[in-house]
Amino acid sequence: MMQSLHRFVWRDAARRARKLLDFAETEADGGRDLVRAAELTKDPVLRRLYTVHAADEEKHAALFRGRGAELMRALPISSPAKSRLNWLTPGERGLDDLRVDEKSDASLLAFLHLSEKTAARHFGTYVDALRDDPSTAAVFREILHDETFHMNYTLAQLNRVAPRQRGLYLWRARLGRLWKAYLRIMAAIAGVIGSVLLTAQYFILIPPFAFLAKRAERREPDGWKQPPAERPFNSQY
Amino acid sequence: MKILGVSAHYHDAAAALVIDGMPVAAVQEERLSRRKNDAAFPLAAIEYCLEQSGLEPDDLDAVVFYERPMLKFDRILTCALRAFPRSWRSFPHAMKNSLGEKLWVRGIISSHLGVARRKILFTDHHRSHAAAAFLTAPVRDAAILTADGVGEWAALTVGHGTRGPGKTAINLLREIRFPHSLGMLYSTFTAYLGFQVNEGEYKVMGLASYGRPAMADAVRKLVKRTQDGAFRLDLDYFDFHTSAKRSFSDKFVELFGPPRDPFDPIDLATVDGRRFADCAASVQKVLEDILVDIACALHRETGLPDLCLGGGVALNGVANARILSESGFERIFVPPSPGDAGCALGAALYADRVHFGNPDRDIPDHPYWGPVVDAAALAGLARQDDQPVEELEESALIQTTARDLFEGRIVGWMDGAMELGPRALGHRSILAAPHTAQMRDRLNRDIKHREQFRPFAPVVPVEAADRYFEMPAGGARLARFMSGVFPVRPEWREKLAAITHVDGTARVQALERGMAPRLYALLEAYGRLSGIPILLNTSFNLSGEPIVNRAVEGYLTFRRCGMDVLVAGQTRVTKRVPAK
Repeated sequence: MMQSLHRFVWRDAARRARKLLDFAETEADGGRDLVRAAELTKDPVLRRLYTVHAADEEKHAALFRGRGAELMRALPISSPAKSRLNWLTPGERGLDDLRVDEKSDASLLAFLHLSEKTAARHFGTYVDALRDDPSTAAVFREILHDETFHMNYTLAQLNRVAPRQRGLYLWRARLGRLWKAYLRIMAAIAGVIGSVLLTAQYFILIPPFAFLAKRAERREPDGWKQPPAERPFNSQY
Repeated sequence: MKILGVSAHYHDAAAALVIDGMPVAAVQEERLSRRKNDAAFPLAAIEYCLEQSGLEPDDLDAVVFYERPMLKFDRILTCALRAFPRSWRSFPHAMKNSLGEKLWVRGIISSHLGVARRKILFTDHHRSHAAAAFLTAPVRDAAILTADGVGEWAALTVGHGTRGPGKTAINLLREIRFPHSLGMLYSTFTAYLGFQVNEGEYKVMGLASYGRPAMADAVRKLVKRTQDGAFRLDLDYFDFHTSAKRSFSDKFVELFGPPRDPFDPIDLATVDGRRFADCAASVQKVLEDILVDIACALHRETGLPDLCLGGGVALNGVANARILSESGFERIFVPPSPGDAGCALGAALYADRVHFGNPDRDIPDHPYWGPVVDAAALAGLARQDDQPVEELEESALIQTTARDLFEGRIVGWMDGAMELGPRALGHRSILAAPHTAQMRDRLNRDIKHREQFRPFAPVVPVEAADRYFEMPAGGARLARFMSGVFPVRPEWREKLAAITHVDGTARVQALERGMAPRLYALLEAYGRLSGIPILLNTSFNLSGEPIVNRAVEGYLTFRRCGMDVLVAGQTRVTKRVPAK
C-alpha cells in the first residue's frame, strides 16, 4: 500500500520537481551541519570523515537541484504549483533539528547512523516508485550508494569511539528521534490551536479597534513626521 | 564604565562591549554559531565579549538593547488593525512571532546574564543606527541619514550629530514611518526577483548593472514623492504589511509580470532574464534618485560637509557613490556594519555618551573587533591531516604569498581579529589575482558557487586607488570599508577583468597601511611582481555559510573548495591531495 502511495505522490512531474528542489535544500543544510561537526570534533579521523560526508551532502544537493530544475524546465508554463504532500509522505528530513554543538562524538555518530539508515530506506522506496522516470530514479540510486557508505562509516566509527556503549548510544538516538517527532507533532498541534484562537480573537475583538486605527490612519498626513521626544532609556516603549 | 550592546531577534544578532567609552569587542552571533544571519539571542557573542575583557555579567554597568520591543509590537499590532480584514491570515503568525520571545527582552537578558533588571536599557532602533554611523566616524559635526526596512516605526530618519568635549548629541530632525520604507521597497523587489530577503539584496544590486532602468516609471507608481520631499508607498502594490508569505500584490505582478521562481537560473539571453535585470536596474535607479534627493535637502538644511549613513540601505554602494557625487556632501561615512549587527555597538556607544553623559572619545577607525585567529591551531590541524605546512618569517611569508597570487593561486587569508559587518576587509578574505575573467569564473565555480552575474571586489592601497579607479573627492573615505562603487578607469578594465563589473565599475576597498599592515605589505609585494598593486578580495566563506572565524573553520573551508593556499598569521598551508 505504501508503495502505491509513493507512486501516487511521485507521479506528478510538477510535484516531483518541487520535492527534489526541497530535498536539495535539506541535503545542503545537512552538509552545513556536518561541516559544523567537523569543526567541533577533536578527533582527526572523524574530522576527515565528516568533511567527506559534508562534501557528499553538497554533491547530493547539486544532483537534486539539477534534476529538479530539469523537470521544472520541462513543465508547461501554465503548470500549477502542486502541494508536495509532505504530510502524506514526509520524505527527506535530512539532519534537521540536529544541534551539533550539543552532541558528543558518540551521540552524533549514533544520530547520523540512524538518519542515514532511514534516508537509505526512503530512497530505496523512491527508486521503486520512480520506475517511469529513470533519470530521477538514477539520481536516487547514486545517492543511495553514498548513503550506504555513510551508514556504514558512522556505525564503524561508533564502534571505535564507544565500543562498549554502542547499543546505549543507538537506543538514546532512537529515543531522541522519537522525542523530536513527538515535539514536531505537538508543536504543529499547538500552532493550529494558537492560530484558531488568534483568528477567532481577530474577528471578535479587533473590529472596533481596527475601525479606530483606520480612522487615525486616514487623518495622518503623508510625508515627514516629527520624531517622538526621546524616551527614557529604561523604557521598552 | 562597562556597557554591553545587544542586537537580536530579527536578523544578524550581535553583541558589542564598550569599556570607558571605547569598544573592546564586537561580533555577530552567526560567526560563532555558524548559522548564517543568526537572529537568536547572541549568547555566544556576549560570552566572547565578556571573556575578551575578563568580565563577569555582574561587572557590567548596563546592557543596552538596540531597539524598543514594546514599541515595535505597537507597530505590528497597529498595522494589523489598519489592514483589517485583509490581515486575517498574517495576524496569528505575527502575534505568535512577537509574543513568543521578542517581546520579553528584559526578562531574557536578565535570565541569561543574571544582571539586575534596572541595568537593562533600551534605545530607539534608528538612534542605534545613527550612533553606529556617527559616533564611530572621525568627525565632530555631521548630518546623519539612516534608512532600512523598519525599526520600531521609523524606516528613514535624517538628523544632525555633534561630538565634542562639551556634550555629545544626536538630534533626529524628521522621520518617515512604516510602511513607507525604501528598505521594504528594495526587499519587495528582492523577493519578486526570487532572492532571499535580507540576504539577496546584493544580488539585486549586482543584477541591476545588466539591465536598463526601462521600468523606472513603473517603479515610481509604487513609490510616490510627497510635497515635503519625503515619499509614500502605494500600498495597493504591496502585501508585506498584510501577509507573512508574500511582499508584493497581484497588482504588482500585473505591472511587472510574473515573478521569478527562486529555482530558475537567471539567463540574461532570455526575454524574462532581461526583464528581471531591467526590474533590478529600475528599482535601483529610483532608490538612488530618492536617496540623493533627500541627501541634497539635508545638505542644504545643515550646511555641513560630512554625512554619516546608517541602516541596511547604506550597504548599497552604488547609491552611496551617487550621494557622494551629487548631494553636495564632501565626505560620507558609512560604518563597516551599518545594518542591525552594528546597532549593538551603536546602542552601547549611544548609552555611554548620551544616557551616562560620559566624555566623547575617538573610536579607532577600523572594523576589527572580533576573535583573533590562532595560527598555531591551523598548523596543528594541517599536520594532523598530513598537509604541507610552513611557518615563515613575515617578509618571506608576504613574498611567498604574493608569488602564489601572481602565479594564479587562490589564497585564503586570515589575519588577526575578525571584522564586524558583512564585508571581509582583509582579515578573513579570499584573495586572488584580479586580472582575468577566467579567475572570476573560477572563483564563482570552484569556491563561491554563486551566480555568474555577481561581481568581485578589489582591494588597493589608498594612495594608488585614484590611478585605477575614478574616485571622486571623498571617494577614498567611502571606499575605506568597501561602501562605494566607482568606475574602473577604462584603460585598466581589461587588465582588471576579474573585478570589473559588466558596467565598468567595482566596489573598491581603498586600504590605508595602518588599518591592515600585512595586507598592505602583500599588496605592495604583489604590485612589485605584477605591476598592479591590486588584489581581488572576497569574503572567506562558501555559499550559504557565514564568514569563517576560527582557524578550523578556515581550514575546513580551504579543504572543501578549490582554494590553493591558506595563510593564518605566519602559517602557510597548501594542499597535498583533495579532501576525498
